[in-house]
Amino acid sequence: MPEDIISLIQESVIQGRIYKDDEGMDEGMVGQPGVTELVESALASDLSIQSIITKGLSGGMNIVGQKFEAGEYFIPDMLASAEAVSAAMDILQPRLAASDIKTKGTIIVATVKDDLHDIGKNIVSILLRGAGYTVKDLGNNIDTQAIVDAVREEKPQFLGLSALLTSTMARMADVIQMLEQNGLRDQIKIIVGGAPVSEEFAKSIGADGYGADGFQALAVVEALTSGTEN
Amino acid sequence: MFVTDDRVAVDIEIDKEQVCHYIGYDGNHGMSARISSLIDDYAEHAHHLINPLYSYVIKNVEWARGSMALIDDSIIFKSQVVAQLLEHCSQVAILLVTIGKYLEETTSKLARDRLMLQATVLDAIGSDAVEKVADAVQDRIKEIAGTMGLVISRRFSPGYCDWNIGQQRMIFHALTGNTIGVRLTGECLMIPQKSISGIVGIGSSKKHIENYNPCKFCNKQDCPGRR
Repeated sequence: MPEDIISLIQESVIQGRIYKDDEGMDEGMVGQPGVTELVESALASDLSIQSIITKGLSGGMNIVGQKFEAGEYFIPDMLASAEAVSAAMDILQPRLAASDIKTKGTIIVATVKDDLHDIGKNIVSILLRGAGYTVKDLGNNIDTQAIVDAVREEKPQFLGLSALLTSTMARMADVIQMLEQNGLRDQIKIIVGGAPVSEEFAKSIGADGYGADGFQALAVVEALTSGTEN
Repeated sequence: MFVTDDRVAVDIEIDKEQVCHYIGYDGNHGMSARISSLIDDYAEHAHHLINPLYSYVIKNVEWARGSMALIDDSIIFKSQVVAQLLEHCSQVAILLVTIGKYLEETTSKLARDRLMLQATVLDAIGSDAVEKVADAVQDRIKEIAGTMGLVISRRFSPGYCDWNIGQQRMIFHALTGNTIGVRLTGECLMIPQKSISGIVGIGSSKKHIENYNPCKFCNKQDCPGRR
């Protein structure tokens, strides 16, 4: 039953299971199909890519997000689910590229100059990919000029900046300033995050949004995409 | 795993509970079988990726007051927290430890391959391992202090409390070139990142330095390093 497959895809995302041999959040899941086998079945049953992504994968991640907010799921659980989505997207990507379905948008992410921390940025990246965005990850310790050049060349809708140190968070302001000087600021929405960063800091440097964790960053990007952000 | 010389034996036994804490579990919730077995697998095999190295020196405290301490004529530590400790210490051990670059190279490769769960678990194992190396060196410093009838304080590192991270340079200066392959970036971050630098105060038990805890006088209730 096609709808059953979608529900099973959603459940396999919640369980963070990629292959049938994987264990899940709950006991006794080994042997049941994982998200990759289910996505192949869904495609063989001619289910639309859009419903696999929106109802199955994104639907599953939405529930994971709720569980994370409620304190039922922790970062590793969320990562297991996001990896399941990522594995499913690897199967769907070639068909997606051949179809007229567009991704939700492109986001460039980077950890600013002199900061080597990238786990938080990577978590945000994987969640954004799972939610249907195209993510271009520049890496860590990225020059302000290199970030501005990437924005000019890639023309993304969003720029996500990360910093873990009080000594490097000021580089975020440098990036925004240089984007303004180059006439690029109005073309993109800028989201900032990282341990020392706050909502107040984000506002003070002229960023469009702040994400305290991966799901909040995703929520801010989604809100900015739909124009519901205040 | 053991690293031995005539001074320190480092036995790195990965603490699963601590790894769980590093990756975000709060201790009150059970984890999935998948993540539990992933931690076990990486913890069992991580010793191939860990190359513990250390360096330390013990120097005399010349004087300490206010927010400044002078060590051995050329080392100046600027921090009220450190100066308040060293005011009651006759000597200070300055230490640097690392687990080398292999674990974080593997973590980076996992992240590049978008295996973020595995990367996060391995990174946490590295954090636990480097703490274990620092603890072993600190234990050795405690033994040395003991032979002189002295006791040691907790460990303090630049970048915590009011001790500016820029003072890493002073720690590296104190080690007179024996920096075990660890280097500082322009912002004074250490590479490999799984490295710990810091000081341990040494003094008489009458000065109560074992219990010195600057958190008692600090209002930053949300500080992640609060003790």
